[in-house]
Amino acid sequence: MFVLSLVLAAAMWELYKAVGPETGGKVLGMRVLPKAEDRAMPHVWEMFQRFGRAEVRSSKDTVLEAVVSGAWYSFRIALAGLALGTAVGFGLAVLMARFRVVERGLLPWLVVSQTVPLIALAPLVASWGGKLHIGGFTWQRWMSASIIAAFLAFFPMAVGALRGLSSPPPAALELMDSYAAPWRSTLFKLRIPAALPYLVPAFRLAANAAVAGTVIAEISAGVRGGIGRLILEYMREATGDPAKVYTAVFGAAAVGLLMAGLVAVVEMTATRHLRKEEFA
Amino acid sequence: MTEIAVPTGQVGAAAAAVEARGAAMTFNAGRPNEVIALAPIDLTVAPGELVSLIGPSGCGKSTLLRLIANLLEPTDGSLLINGKPASQARLDGDYGMAFQQAGLFDWRTVSRNIELPLEIKGWDRTRRRARALEMLELVRLCDFADHHPWELSGGMQQRVAIARALSFEPKLLLMDEPFGALDEMTREHMQTELGRIRAATGAAVIFVTHSIPEAVFLSDRVAVMSARPGRIEAVIDVALGERTELTRGDPLFFKHVTEVREALRAGHGVGGGMEDR
Ligand SMILES: Nc1ncnc2c1ncn2[C@@H]1O[C@H](COP(=O)(O)OP(=O)(O)OP(=O)(O)O)[C@@H](O)[C@H]1O
Ligand SMILES: [Mg+2]
Repeated sequence: MFVLSLVLAAAMWELYKAVGPETGGKVLGMRVLPKAEDRAMPHVWEMFQRFGRAEVRSSKDTVLEAVVSGAWYSFRIALAGLALGTAVGFGLAVLMARFRVVERGLLPWLVVSQTVPLIALAPLVASWGGKLHIGGFTWQRWMSASIIAAFLAFFPMAVGALRGLSSPPPAALELMDSYAAPWRSTLFKLRIPAALPYLVPAFRLAANAAVAGTVIAEISAGVRGGIGRLILEYMREATGDPAKVYTAVFGAAAVGLLMAGLVAVVEMTATRHLRKEEFA
Repeated sequence: MTEIAVPTGQVGAAAAAVEARGAAMTFNAGRPNEVIALAPIDLTVAPGELVSLIGPSGCGKSTLLRLIANLLEPTDGSLLINGKPASQARLDGDYGMAFQQAGLFDWRTVSRNIELPLEIKGWDRTRRRARALEMLELVRLCDFADHHPWELSGGMQQRVAIARALSFEPKLLLMDEPFGALDEMTREHMQTELGRIRAATGAAVIFVTHSIPEAVFLSDRVAVMSARPGRIEAVIDVALGERTELTRGDPLFFKHVTEVREALRAGHGVGGGMEDR
């Protein structure tokens, strides 16, 4: 099904190239249809051929090698960001579920936090991080990108987890109260298992956000080595080498796919384990 | 406000299972949405006794149960459970509760549901498991220990909920319309089962219901309540002896049903909201 839709997308692209206007379509002077010429829309096979050729004239590395290593690098940044974001988001949700005051005070700020433009935030995080020296620890540039990824990922996690942790009906909470259960027992034996159906989609959203955050942060904070940077570099060469930038775009898609695969695996194990065997 | 005497045989033997003295509950006191849910209530339930609470919707039956369970603090008066303040009784696990919805945890098997209160009270695994199996035997669900709640019928789920409430051997069982969501046949079966379980455990029961025959069939005494503000209007002694399926056809049974219905009518003009089943 997936392969079929890929083939279909490629066919659409080529179809448009065949019938679309070479110079693009204009309505009242505004371009509404993209140019179908080879410089703006290279053939699909050219994109794939580009993978096999050298990245720059002087180097012996192929584009494929550059894109794969960039994608892998970005994937690891996104993964670190997702881990941090999930932990922070879940921690905040537990705090908010525990203390109503925290929920009232914090939730609006969490919402506001997501409206901060990332393009502005990313260089800031990079420069703050650069000034950070704690003992032997020195800030790496990739950490800035992970922080941005976490900044995007924690939000769906916090909101989803809070929903889930507050989902048990009053009768279930009263039952725990009737056993004089401490809050910790209620958390582990009732709230977290009940939150599971909410955590799974929240985690999926967080994973997507982490990938998007990573690519954006790499571009705007100038982190080298990742797929975001490659997109930026290849864009500059687009006039002379139009197929090249698409190879990087495919690389970014690969990061997303890899993340989706990982999420699916985590979901499966989590659902199986948590449902059956409880923790604590 | 009706003073209910402890049956003379019980005086001095053991502390009453429940002793409410002027217990009253007002929600949102002093605010525009103030509700006087319960006028001062006096009620004494002897050890092992089953008392039903019956009355129109909103008369405070659930509220009274929550006061006894210490899930709410009374705004006036006092409550003793097994001779202890309600808060201490809750900490000591002196009572178990069952509601209209069985409220089993879907992610736990039947036997792990029964073990839940025992886990919270810190029992070790083998002891918990052994007790859960004992309880399953009591409610006749031995074959379902490792099933999940959604694989059980409503009546079976309710039996698991009762097993869970009784797993730590409380001397008092609080039940809020526990059979209200069951069909008529299952309901009568569950009533008989409850009688048997009571005989086996000796627990006192406070049983909230909307069904007059159910109240009469189960109870040693029926407390008839009326609304606005909630209070106990009358207490009817039921002298039916040991209950069997024949009891339901006993003329004395019908006499008591009529008695309760009339007390309900007296409380608020008509028997509104009551079921005659
Ligand atoms: N948490 C609460 N806050 C405010 N008012 C409440 C609250 N709980 C109950 N009440 C009010 O107290 C009164 C008694 O409610 P309660 O639930 O005890 O009635 P009930 O006899 O159990 O009714 P039903 O037969 O419908 O279950 C009602 O008027 C209800 O609106
Ligand atoms: Mg009620």
